[in-house]
Amino acid sequence: MKVFRKYAALYLMMLPIVIYFLVYSYYPLFKGLQISFQDYRLMGNRPYIGLDNYIKVVHDPIFWQSFVNTLVISVGILLFGFIAPLIIALSLNEVLNVWFKKAAQMILYIPHLLSWVVIGGMWIFLLSPDIGLVNQLLSRTIQLQPVHFLADSFWARWVMIGVATWKDMGYTCILFLAGIVSINPSLYEAARMDGASRWQQVRNVTLPQLANTMKVIFLLNTLGILRIFDQVFIFRNPSTASKVDVLMMYTYQKGIMDLQIGTAAAASFFVVLFTLILTLIVRKLTRFDEV
Amino acid sequence: MNRIRYDRQGALNKLFDTLNLLFLLFLMLTMIIPFLNVIALAFSSGVSSMQPDIILFPKQFSAEGFAIVWNSLDIWKPFLNSVIVTGIGTVLHVLLSSFAGYVLMHPFLPGKKLMVTFILITMMIPQEAIMIPLYVVNKDLHLLNTLTVLVLSGLVSGFSILLMRNFFLGVPYEMAESAKMDGAGELRIFSTMYMRLATPGLATVTLFEFVGRWNMFTAPVLFINDSTKYTLQVALKSMIIDANSTSGTYLLTTNVKMAGIIIAIIPLIAIYPFVQKFFMKGIMLGASKE
Repeated sequence: MKVFRKYAALYLMMLPIVIYFLVYSYYPLFKGLQISFQDYRLMGNRPYIGLDNYIKVVHDPIFWQSFVNTLVISVGILLFGFIAPLIIALSLNEVLNVWFKKAAQMILYIPHLLSWVVIGGMWIFLLSPDIGLVNQLLSRTIQLQPVHFLADSFWARWVMIGVATWKDMGYTCILFLAGIVSINPSLYEAARMDGASRWQQVRNVTLPQLANTMKVIFLLNTLGILRIFDQVFIFRNPSTASKVDVLMMYTYQKGIMDLQIGTAAAASFFVVLFTLILTLIVRKLTRFDEV
Repeated sequence: MNRIRYDRQGALNKLFDTLNLLFLLFLMLTMIIPFLNVIALAFSSGVSSMQPDIILFPKQFSAEGFAIVWNSLDIWKPFLNSVIVTGIGTVLHVLLSSFAGYVLMHPFLPGKKLMVTFILITMMIPQEAIMIPLYVVNKDLHLLNTLTVLVLSGLVSGFSILLMRNFFLGVPYEMAESAKMDGAGELRIFSTMYMRLATPGLATVTLFEFVGRWNMFTAPVLFINDSTKYTLQVALKSMIIDANSTSGTYLLTTNVKMAGIIIAIIPLIAIYPFVQKFFMKGIMLGASKE
């Protein structure tokens, strides 16, 4: 009690934070689990129905379609969103002109700051078949017929992957550059003494020394990919929905649009399960724990 | 012999440098040209913005797009909502994160370990798992369709708390102790010493939160369907994107849509120089701590 009084002011400062997390993090987690076993209606009684919601989700072909979409789009974003910034970081690192290096970083970073509505609005327009810049360039240079990028089910997923990579590559690139900067310069000196060319230095010093940074970035990106929502919400349209609607979109439509709250809660626990599995796989593959 | 090899190596190096620069310039152009295209379209007249030959420069220069967005489409209402939510939300977020960061900085505080674990767990609770129950919670609290719910979404985050704590740990604890000897209370030490000495930390968290809140989209989509409570992002979404697919509604010319995009970008571009400075530090700090 005496201890408590001594630190009372500190505990009091902490109180709003604790209350906030209880109401907006912990309670919803348990509430969600409870709802997933209920026939949940906004009004009236909410009987427990066991695993019915989960069974319903497993037998819904649209859920599995969303699952496949999520997998394809996330793996695409994961791969391209990893390789592109890595190449850019290596390339930027070779530039000796400090001013150019800074300017390039600054410009590449801008899209990461903007919302998906802005990025989406821009690209939907740039990719439009009649007046979009991309189609104009394609038709002027290689005389291609206009491509309906956003209405074509083949292109829909590529647009998702491409724009997501474009938006975040400047940001990921900075993380890689931070890793490169922290490499011990004497390693490069030694390599140069041995007569290593620039390419050999990249291959034998930079890349192996960057392995840990790469693992961390890959793991963090993996945790994020099942969560893509804003982007899909903005880029989807009726003609491509079946190719791009991801699991979060499924949950949103079931829960908020159709008000089948129990089913949606069950679906979201599947998403959590997939996230866990994916994280475990990636941890095993990258042997993250050994870092 | 050696000399020839050296020369060839030098020439190869030069070639590589040139190609490398060209590659980076090309990438930068893919970032810049879309924005220039948007600006050119926004400043063109309504009719010419619908024709396919504007790339970098406006045609029939006019600002009518902006006038229409602001006056006829009343974008200032959602703009105001965004300003309110971003302003209040950011201030409260920074204040609460600093509170928690300050408390968790104390080396001998009983129960500190428990509090840290409590916060770390919230960082691991996946948002996708609680999207639906959050809707239910907010409905039970009668907060749906209010601006309050948008302020409350993400009001505190473990990430910001840990970031602030790391900055506070940089302030020597002996200073706090000696101030306490002189009879200063915790709140006083917090406000007059720690908040002032941790300015870079405060700036980092403020900017992160400002950008995040200005761009916030999922929360308003989930919790708001009364159009008078729309934020700028949601209003823009229905103006730019839904207008493409739904026919029959008021047809907007391209310059109007692009003007809307520019209005949403302006506050971010205005703070970009500061963001640039602090974000880099924040990113490093955050990345190495996660």
